[in-house]
Amino acid sequence: MNDKPDRTRVTGEPPGAETVSAAAHDSRWQFDRRRFLEAAGFSLSLTAVTACTRRPVQHAMPLGEMPDSFAPGKLVSYAATCNGCPAGCGLLVGVRDGRPLKMEGMPEHPLSRGGLCAVGQALPIALYDRHRLDGPLRRGKPAQWESIDRAVLQELQAIRESGGAVRLVTGTRTSPTLAAIISAFLGQFKDGKHVVVDPVSCSSIRAAHHSTHGASRLPRYRFDRAAVIVSFGADFLGTWISPVEYAAAWRQQRIPTVEQPQMSYHAHFEPQLTVTGSKADRRYRVTPQDYTTILAHLAKRLGALPLPKNMPSLDSVGSFTAGDLKTLARRLQRAKGASLVVCDSQDLVAQQLVNAINEQLGNYGKTLELDRPSFQRQGEDAALADLLDELEEGVVAALLVADVDLLHDLPESSRIRKGLKKAQLVVSFADHLNETARVAHCVCPESHLLESWNDFHPVGGLVSLSQPTIRPLGKTRTLLECLARWSGSASDDRTLIRQHWEKAIRPRATDPGADPVAFWDNAVQLGFVEIEESPQPAGYSAPGQLELASVSRPDEGYTVLLYAKTGMPESRHAHNPWLQELPDPVTKVSWDNYVCMGPSTAEELGVGEGDIVELSVDDVKLELPVYVLPGQHDRVLGVALAYGCPGTERFAQVGPSWLEARPTVPNGRPVGRNAAPLLNWQGKSLQRVRHGVSVRKTGRRRPLAVTQLYHSLKLPESIAAYGAPDRSDIVQSTTLEAFRADPESGKPEVHVDANLDLWPPDHPKSGHAWGLLVDLNACTGCSACVIACQSENNIPVVGWDEVRRQREMYWMRIDRYMQGEDDDLDVRVQPVMCQHCDHAPCETVCPVLATVHSEEGLNQQAYNRCVGTRYCANNCPFKVRRFNWFNYRHDSDRENLALNPDVVVRTRGVMEKCSMCVQRIEAARVEAKKEGRAIAEGDVQVACQQSCPAQAIVFGDLNDPKSRISQLAKDPRQYRMLEEYGFQTNVGYRRIVRNREGGAESTGHHS
Amino acid sequence: MRERVITLALLMGLFFGVLVLAMGAREWRSPGNQQGYAPEQPIAFSHRLHAGELSIDCQFCHVAADNSRYAGIPTSDICFKCHKFVTASFAAVMDERKKAAKEKREPAPVVSAELKKLYDMMGLDDQLKPQDSTGLKPIPWVRIHELPDHVLFNHQAHVQAGVACQRCHGPVETFERMYQYETLSMGWCVNCHREVNRTGVSGKAVHASIDCAACHY
Repeated sequence: MNDKPDRTRVTGEPPGAETVSAAAHDSRWQFDRRRFLEAAGFSLSLTAVTACTRRPVQHAMPLGEMPDSFAPGKLVSYAATCNGCPAGCGLLVGVRDGRPLKMEGMPEHPLSRGGLCAVGQALPIALYDRHRLDGPLRRGKPAQWESIDRAVLQELQAIRESGGAVRLVTGTRTSPTLAAIISAFLGQFKDGKHVVVDPVSCSSIRAAHHSTHGASRLPRYRFDRAAVIVSFGADFLGTWISPVEYAAAWRQQRIPTVEQPQMSYHAHFEPQLTVTGSKADRRYRVTPQDYTTILAHLAKRLGALPLPKNMPSLDSVGSFTAGDLKTLARRLQRAKGASLVVCDSQDLVAQQLVNAINEQLGNYGKTLELDRPSFQRQGEDAALADLLDELEEGVVAALLVADVDLLHDLPESSRIRKGLKKAQLVVSFADHLNETARVAHCVCPESHLLESWNDFHPVGGLVSLSQPTIRPLGKTRTLLECLARWSGSASDDRTLIRQHWEKAIRPRATDPGADPVAFWDNAVQLGFVEIEESPQPAGYSAPGQLELASVSRPDEGYTVLLYAKTGMPESRHAHNPWLQELPDPVTKVSWDNYVCMGPSTAEELGVGEGDIVELSVDDVKLELPVYVLPGQHDRVLGVALAYGCPGTERFAQVGPSWLEARPTVPNGRPVGRNAAPLLNWQGKSLQRVRHGVSVRKTGRRRPLAVTQLYHSLKLPESIAAYGAPDRSDIVQSTTLEAFRADPESGKPEVHVDANLDLWPPDHPKSGHAWGLLVDLNACTGCSACVIACQSENNIPVVGWDEVRRQREMYWMRIDRYMQGEDDDLDVRVQPVMCQHCDHAPCETVCPVLATVHSEEGLNQQAYNRCVGTRYCANNCPFKVRRFNWFNYRHDSDRENLALNPDVVVRTRGVMEKCSMCVQRIEAARVEAKKEGRAIAEGDVQVACQQSCPAQAIVFGDLNDPKSRISQLAKDPRQYRMLEEYGFQTNVGYRRIVRNREGGAESTGHHS
Repeated sequence: MRERVITLALLMGLFFGVLVLAMGAREWRSPGNQQGYAPEQPIAFSHRLHAGELSIDCQFCHVAADNSRYAGIPTSDICFKCHKFVTASFAAVMDERKKAAKEKREPAPVVSAELKKLYDMMGLDDQLKPQDSTGLKPIPWVRIHELPDHVLFNHQAHVQAGVACQRCHGPVETFERMYQYETLSMGWCVNCHREVNRTGVSGKAVHASIDCAACHY
């Protein structure tokens, strides 16, 4: 042991050449491969021995006191109302062990009828957001409520004495209690005003009704009663006013059956493809300015109004011809009183024309209710314009801002910023430090919906309540409580709402009952109350000479359409990682916003997807990547609002960290870019359409995280040569005319051998046989199910970089395919989850039997058995399996509270996929066993099915002949994907039917 | 020669390593198996006394076993249902009474050392009145039965099916200190599931699934 070993070789420092040669000859010192393995073997055995000891001590901490009727591990549902947007859909908040976990639609709710959109589904992750402000700030520093109250009251007192103006700015809040408190609060001041600002307002519709019906109201649209729907840019299934309510209603007339082969007719005019446009029977590609022209000609043809002077002829409108006009007018006329024309234009003339047409068709009182109007959008652009002027003049002494971010959501922010500086007191109620909150004197963060009491009055005749399901996680208050305190009442939100309901709601309730306590308890339990409201009649008077807005149509430049995305309707949701990552239903892009442009526009500009272009108009410049979207008008570009919010830099490291990881947002910049500077004021109307925008290629790139890289089911020529030119039989479609002639029309002629079987029939499904059926005719692709699945099944957020590498983890995706060209675009959407094949290709290739079949027909994935070979994903024909490339981030204890304890959080190296919510099946089984019966129809609702606004998904037992799914399986529209291969999938689809003339559409593929 | 030295060194290393671990040899298990784990608990609660001698039903304290996935470790207020009145062993109380009678005074309240810990956790003083200074604190029981995270065991399903608690937890009514009686390994679970599919549970035919997704999802 005298010779010391040559350390250079042991430590791996670069040895000199001589040492190496010496070592090579001196075998005594050789620490060779064999020796290394020996040492490794010894170390490994030692490690194994240590593993045989006890695990570290863990504690089980019971509660100190058992709350009443509390069962650990049980999901209890509480009624609430969603405030993700002002639509006011009914919520059932699933609470487990004291924490709200899962949002579901309330089936009894008169508006949403059991549906809930992606934004509503994503509420829990916002509740547990660790970046949410957890207490008030004064001049940017954390403060106590007492000092905030003192400061605010002192300022307000001074303003009251000086008679200064007080302005309260909120988004649309339909709360009757809040309205009462606001008027009490503002009543203290000589000049107090409440200004409602909707980032995407319906101001023009209200103004048009003011001029035609004498009342500034938004009608309640009844799509369930409309047999003919004509929409001008109104994306009522995706983003417009109350999409869940409208989708649930629209669906009712869209499902033809063999007995009643009827469905509504839906024509859609739009410059950029939307969710609604993709579902229309006939889609016309027009610019937003064309709406007015078409409406004017339509009004003239229907005899509603004469053609206004200077109205361009129909020839100026691209794809919509005089012949089309005639057909459309005839359809509308035939459906008098059962038709509906809606328009999202901000052009007052267009809206007046819409009113005249609806009046002429006798639709008021039938498909539009104006005497029981909607309160879901109350913003008035004119009031906002006045407020901004007042701010600039320095008239406003105190400005209180909730919901909207004035400096971010509106154009000319420098002007507003200057105005804010002139105010004595600026209070923000934002729950994150948005741009307005950053300059506010006081920030009074509002409690989350699930932490507070709220009430809503979304439409005439309906009021709803929302109860808290958790104590506030931080020291936050509601707007209601703040305003009440600042007007001298120190009650909490519950007391305030209860008192107001006792005073103002119960006397008007349809069923007030004898006992006020019982009334309140019922209202809390049910979540909504129907009230008598005397109809407020509004008679029609034809508008006088329509004054065409003097929009000079610049020949140069493009028109930019600023729109709200389905998953990101308002900037206040910008901190929600689920919504940020949700692929847009139309573009399939997650994270980022972008410029949508048509293929020919892109060609003209010489740009492709991901190329950054600079949009410039006047002094506004905006750089954004391009997304090429078929079906886009050649002269119109689309940019989503509500991006580029301060604070979203936090998402830089949202994904896994590894050597080649790239941050989701570069250089500490927010997610996307703010497009609000492109909004522009035209008089007192805030226009979301900007003309004369020039586009310049910058030469830089920002690759977009797109989840679907192909648009068409046409196969490349190399494959098509083998006899299958396209695979449109994957998403089958037919026309109503063909369906009437043959209910099975649209079915491809493929040979399906029913007896084809790889295995001996030794696994009979004798008990339940679970199946899922998706009605593609009802499915709008709104992606509510994707978030529902994410919330239910603990699906991680992976970040821009991973999505870009096609490693998103969604268990269900929505495929969207496009056929045809620009003016004649046929879009089909299809939710795809694990198809639970009885002959599953994945099962046969798993070397460790980690994926096997259950006796009830489910394709099971045992995570703990999976070794991650990924053979199954390679062999899956539907590509629904997701591999955990990493341990995704679960490093915030607070955000982990949103995880569902009934579902395992998967670790790196295992495969996962849709389990058909087996945890819900197992829970239902236990409950059924308690009653000594088998699982019955309706006991289990899978997560995607539960919240679908269009009720497109049906889950049930295929072995039960009476179940709904068994009944529907006999329907001639039913088909299975890739049926001819004999996978025997347990997930079925129902063919799309378009209300069109002509035969079944291309079914391709003949074998 | 050097090779021998290295091998020897490694062998010595392994030998001493094993020797060190051998001190806890009684604790050795195959990895993951915690059978026989009997840690000391913050309060020396005796199942033998409560479930055995006093024949208190398991679900009197483990209230959620028949309606939840979890049996539930009793909350302090469940203990307090009885221990509001029973503050020490009968013998200790009688001793105090005798003593008091002898000394001609009112018997003083007797609180046993273990129950004192409970009252401390509940923030109660000697008179069992709530103290203002200390709130209700949960008792940090040391967890014994714990399945890996990828297993979802449901107590309700088993209790409803009529499986006796003792089938998995052993003769708890004889345990002075609680310990893990069975291996709780997957093979052990599946064997029982297979067996009851043949034999039924207490004479009643049952269907115990052996699908992966019965427990793993």
